[in-house]
Amino acid sequence: MTKKTAFWIFLIGTLSSGALFLGATYDTHRQVATLSHVDKLTDQVVAGKKVFEKYNCNDCHTILGFGGYYAPDLTKVVQRVGADGIRYRVKSPEKAFADSPRKMPRQNLSDQEITDLIAFFQWVGEVNNNDWPPQDSRKRISRGEQMMVATVGVSPGAAVFQSKGCMNCHSLAGTGGTFGPALDGIGAKLPAEAIEKYVRDPKGVNPKALMPPQKENLTGRELEEVARFLANLK
Amino acid sequence: MEYRSQKVAYWYFAAALPLFVLQIFLGLYLAFSYTFTVPQSVVDVFPFATARAMHTNLLVLWLLLGFMGGTYYIIPEETRNELYSEKIAYFQLVVLLITGVVALVGFLFGWTQGRPLLEIPTALDIVVVVGALLFLFNVAMTMIQGKNWTTLQGTLLGGLVFLALLYLFGIPFYRNEVIDWYYWWWVIHLWVEGAWELITASIFAFVLMKMTGVEREVVEKWLYVEIGLFLFTGLAGTGHHYYWIGAPKYWLWIGGIFSALEPLPILLMLIDTMMHVRERKTEIVNRLTWTYAVGCAVLHLIGAGVWGFLHTLPQINYYTHGSQVTVSHGHLAFFGAYALLNLTTFYYAMPKLKGIAEYDDRRGTWGFWIMCSAMTLMGLTFGVAGVVQAYVERVLGLGYMTAQSYMRLWMGATLFLGVIFLLGVLTTVTDLLTLRPKVRAQA
Repeated sequence: MTKKTAFWIFLIGTLSSGALFLGATYDTHRQVATLSHVDKLTDQVVAGKKVFEKYNCNDCHTILGFGGYYAPDLTKVVQRVGADGIRYRVKSPEKAFADSPRKMPRQNLSDQEITDLIAFFQWVGEVNNNDWPPQDSRKRISRGEQMMVATVGVSPGAAVFQSKGCMNCHSLAGTGGTFGPALDGIGAKLPAEAIEKYVRDPKGVNPKALMPPQKENLTGRELEEVARFLANLK
Repeated sequence: MEYRSQKVAYWYFAAALPLFVLQIFLGLYLAFSYTFTVPQSVVDVFPFATARAMHTNLLVLWLLLGFMGGTYYIIPEETRNELYSEKIAYFQLVVLLITGVVALVGFLFGWTQGRPLLEIPTALDIVVVVGALLFLFNVAMTMIQGKNWTTLQGTLLGGLVFLALLYLFGIPFYRNEVIDWYYWWWVIHLWVEGAWELITASIFAFVLMKMTGVEREVVEKWLYVEIGLFLFTGLAGTGHHYYWIGAPKYWLWIGGIFSALEPLPILLMLIDTMMHVRERKTEIVNRLTWTYAVGCAVLHLIGAGVWGFLHTLPQINYYTHGSQVTVSHGHLAFFGAYALLNLTTFYYAMPKLKGIAEYDDRRGTWGFWIMCSAMTLMGLTFGVAGVVQAYVERVLGLGYMTAQSYMRLWMGATLFLGVIFLLGVLTTVTDLLTLRPKVRAQA
């Protein structure tokens, strides 16, 4: 190989890859408008992005998987802990993380800033990003539950019921906790949709309910499966 | 030292080294925060985020100072011509250092752009750009005056211009978070897997050529192939950062395929280093400089090439993205490719700048092996923590803090190794700043 051949390898390699990259960049700009729902990208969302940057949240948390790795990913945080959950954590981190080995700084955000921040997270959470992160995926049930389905031969909903701590309070056929009501025959009283709604946020249905909301603990698929399982207990 | 103006480089190197030490201290604080509970009152004043911003910006600052110093050392010899202006070179060093210090102090008071690695506020960005323009002007003018163009010079200048241009994409405010990250990677990825690789390849080629006496023709031929492959795989390889940000699906293909090829140019660099050694025409005088060059080539391949390859396939990256696996790769790659490149340059140039033909390398050798062993092991402990995290948090879906509790042991091991690494760094930095001629034993 001569130096001249080497030069051509350099030139062709660089130009071909560069052309592909720039072409794809052009097309990406076009498609991102749809994938990220630009129509919902309001001024409030932008204001929220500025809040996110002002307090340097991103050097502890990741968002879309980028940033510091010291705190949970925030891509789907609204779906995971809800708007109130975010408000509580940002407003009083010293209370929210009192028992946690890892603390979040008190940064004294105004209520307006928190509201904007939530709008920003809401928007990011709806970006069509190939269903990442896996732990917040609405399509899947966890690997532990899948194992139970495969090895013990239970339904996915039963696996969720057993592995997500429902039986710490509730019982079935005399097995389980007594803090909450026994759930035998619950399907005769309520349809799956009503059960799902209740499990998601009990206080939303009955303000006096003692049961903690499960929308943080369970994925959409898990909620759906556990509701279907309970609705079949007739 | 053949030209008087090469002396400028010494001050760039001398400024870079203390920043390297400071970077490690902050790194230890970060590892400590993962291992032990930092009380709320401390977190309120000095959050992890601030320490991380300082840790990463110090890295970039000392690496860039090293590249600039290296460039100022190389171009007089390459162009056979004194630098266009020593004054600009010193002025620009002072500007960059002041900007750096202001930025770091600013972080402590929350003055930040709030985007990881690009935390420097816009006002300071402008100063950085002015400094970079002065630097490029000085380098280009030296080359133009020298009228002695070589492939090596061209690559170096090309890399530096590319570096400066890409920085511009990090400055504006983007309304759309997806587009924001899209261009964020133009700075970060295209720096480390584009512009910086061009600079590395040319500085490395220079050092190799000088140390082994292999003909320029051969060295530059390989340089062309390497940078061709670097850019071929690196440009489109940016796609491996676009899998989960809300960009179109075809990035999974582009990113997956091109980044699978990314280890090739690095492998080629290692092979041609070995080849040049075998065919060397001159005696290698300073063994340690040589050890650094080979160490850099090897750890560059492992840290950037192999570790990068391990998690760039979309099927794997779905679970490892944004976990400590990334951190493991980041540490090994930056240390192997760039920290060691700078130290190779320092060990090549600093003795010459001090007029020492053969230096006493006993302390330095200890420093090298302590740093490299500690960092390699840290790559592993971060890596294990990352795999645990990917499995517990992402596969089992047991939640972020549950995963972190299982990782704690490994982050503790990292903290311990970090202390060892610091000892290696202190040894190396002290050695470089107080190099002594080798004393020959009396016969």
